[in-house]
Amino acid sequence: MWRFCNTVNNFRMDKKCAQLWQRLSAALKPQISADSFKRWFSTVDLVEAKEESITLSVPNNIYQLWIESNYMQALQNAIIVAFGGPRSVKFCAPSTAGAQTSAEDSATVKEALPAPQVGVRPGTTVPGLNPRNTFESFVVGPNNEIAHAASLAVAQAPARTYNPLFIYGGVGLGKTHLMQAIGQFVWAKRKNVKVIYVSSELFINEFIDAIQHSNLVKFRKRYRQADLLLIDDIQFLGGKERSQEEFFHTFNTLFDGHKQIVLSSDRPASEIANLEHRLVSRFEWGLTAELQPPAIETRLAILRKKADAMQIKLHEDVFQFLATRIRTNVRRLEGALMRVASFASLSGRELTNETVEHLLKDILQEEGRQSITIEQIQRRVAEHFDVRLADMTSKRRPASIAFPRQVAMYLARELTKASLNEIGDAFGGRDHGTVLHACKLVKKRIAEQDNIRQTISYIDSSLQR
Amino acid sequence: MKFSVTKEKLLEALQQVQNVVSTRTTLPILSNVLLQANETELYLTTTDLDVGVRGTCEAHVDKAGATTLPARRVFNIIRELPSSEIQIDVDGKNAASIRSGQSFFKILGLPEDEFPPLPKFEGAKVVTMRQKDLRDGLRKTSYAISTDETRYVLNGVLFSFKDNKLTLVATDGRRLAMAEIELEFPRSHESDLIIPTKAVTELHRLLTDDGDVKVSMSNGQIAFDLNKTLLVSKLIEGNYPNYRQVIPGEAKERVKLEREMFLNSLRRVSLLASDKSHSVKLNFSKNNLDITANTPEVGEAKESLAIPYKGREFSIAFNPEFLMAPLRALTEDEVFLDLIDEMSPGVVKIQTPFLYVIMPMRISS
Repeated sequence: MWRFCNTVNNFRMDKKCAQLWQRLSAALKPQISADSFKRWFSTVDLVEAKEESITLSVPNNIYQLWIESNYMQALQNAIIVAFGGPRSVKFCAPSTAGAQTSAEDSATVKEALPAPQVGVRPGTTVPGLNPRNTFESFVVGPNNEIAHAASLAVAQAPARTYNPLFIYGGVGLGKTHLMQAIGQFVWAKRKNVKVIYVSSELFINEFIDAIQHSNLVKFRKRYRQADLLLIDDIQFLGGKERSQEEFFHTFNTLFDGHKQIVLSSDRPASEIANLEHRLVSRFEWGLTAELQPPAIETRLAILRKKADAMQIKLHEDVFQFLATRIRTNVRRLEGALMRVASFASLSGRELTNETVEHLLKDILQEEGRQSITIEQIQRRVAEHFDVRLADMTSKRRPASIAFPRQVAMYLARELTKASLNEIGDAFGGRDHGTVLHACKLVKKRIAEQDNIRQTISYIDSSLQR
Repeated sequence: MKFSVTKEKLLEALQQVQNVVSTRTTLPILSNVLLQANETELYLTTTDLDVGVRGTCEAHVDKAGATTLPARRVFNIIRELPSSEIQIDVDGKNAASIRSGQSFFKILGLPEDEFPPLPKFEGAKVVTMRQKDLRDGLRKTSYAISTDETRYVLNGVLFSFKDNKLTLVATDGRRLAMAEIELEFPRSHESDLIIPTKAVTELHRLLTDDGDVKVSMSNGQIAFDLNKTLLVSKLIEGNYPNYRQVIPGEAKERVKLEREMFLNSLRRVSLLASDKSHSVKLNFSKNNLDITANTPEVGEAKESLAIPYKGREFSIAFNPEFLMAPLRALTEDEVFLDLIDEMSPGVVKIQTPFLYVIMPMRISS
């Protein structure tokens, strides 16, 4: 990717870089002819050397093009010799370059805009995936390490490890990122692999379109010839019988042909409403991995990695602030970072916690309001008391089920801004009076029994994580 | 609108404009051909919003007017019509009645005002050149265009108008083709433009060996006016990389080769070049060139050519397809291959201003 070295500080080659460049050049020279080295590398400098990547400055973009097309292998070999291990190579132009570089920069900014999430004709050169969604840019933490490991295993050996791979998680937690990373990885290894990435909505629309224009043969051919099928947001198949049937056949064809299928959803397969049982059982056939919201350490890591990638320098306090206040989804976290960073660079002003709070007040409000949903409360309480999620909404009255239900209602009242009626609805269409009664009862029990108070405060804090 | 026309003329005009229509269109109007009839002629226009073509056809016009009709379908119908005389009558609802001999067809079209108009070229810079020169130049360079869509600046041919010369450049990062055409034009017309691949392909198809083509350039668009056809295309925005950087300096060895023999040998030997390594090895020794290729577990191929060569003995490997492409495009009997060493690019040259830089492949020992 093409980048501007936007401050002179970044560009000044310090002694360490100069030394490293010497070593790198020495390892590179014997691999390519003297003429080529002189032509392509004599005006190149090493400006940055980090743990995972190095940045080379080049006079203009034909250098990047030619080096990337012809000398990457030799360069990587030299890097291993000079640095002890492989590094990814980035290129940048010095900031003194004139109109030419700025035009290229804007040209690549266009490139770097996320590609629309559309499926693509198999066999074309570009898989239609957002190039920023790769395994390298995915921050791993305890909340997603299983999903990450599974995705990596699938990408390295498609159809031989977990097939199908079912990834689920809430909004903005990385499902699409992981899926596209798998797609990019597989495609980068063998370019004639047919990778299809679609959202289930697109699948359904194309199916309907195919029926209307009697193009079913073409539609089927396209999807059933994929080597790797990635379908995002599979929960939208719920309720669409005909599409489910088509997908069922597609699934079978691919599975029997030992082709990898990866699915993502916002909830586990068994909880997708109106989904045929035979599809549910097929989705659960392979590995189901959950993506959970990241803990504070992971959130900090995400912020730091993103800031590094965009060469933004912010005060540690700002990172702490963002990580503590924005808990639920990574997308929101990254958006907040962008906002803060652009504000800092555009206004040049010092960032204090107050200014950041003011800048992000709408995001923080959303956080406050939606950070905990009734469903989440139900889940956690059900987990804690070892009852099923369905018991939360069921009509059963034995205390072993009723009490957890009442605790959940109490927490819903305390932690969310939902009305009694809304809470009642969420618990299987119960009356608002029931909810009120539950809250009173639980409050009384908390005052009377210490262990109940502890239990509830434990659940409370785990929800507020 | 009402007019009559001969089948051959209409078919010819339709053929000229068909290819621009893309099979997967976002707007239905884009799969239609715009028909405009004035006093004496019929204009047919098609576009895919990036490239547009307008052809003309002689017709006997009874009533002037315009409409759009599905291009593919109309073409198929006209092709099958029995008689040479065709009458077409379009009513106010854009329904076209096509009569020829005993056949009658009625096709529903879309109104002409929905059709995206071709851009105007007021105050454009105009350069005129011979069709033959442009056709030659494109033939010698267009095969080297990059197909990698991530580097969209390279998905086309660079037209560089400078110093009374038009330079055409195409590259994909592993090889670069450059041809020059002598041309006179005022200083103010000097510019660098990148013509996208689709327009280049269409242009190449339309160019003949006779006559002139008028090239008009205005911001972001270019138009080629030739043989009663007008081709208009958007230009690729961006800066084409500095290709001069790529061209190596002094050659160490200059080898004269007979183009056809070399091409045929390469073609035969490359049958055994494996799918993974895609490489053939050229081994130069005194007055001899050995061309070899091998695929592990399959086999190997070798051919020897007698060539005038007095330099040092050395080997260099190339991607056979990359090496054959310029040889196919050139017509000269003899070509020169300039080489430096096994890790430096080779250059294919001929007597006229043309060169083709090709990067070597690694010879695994």
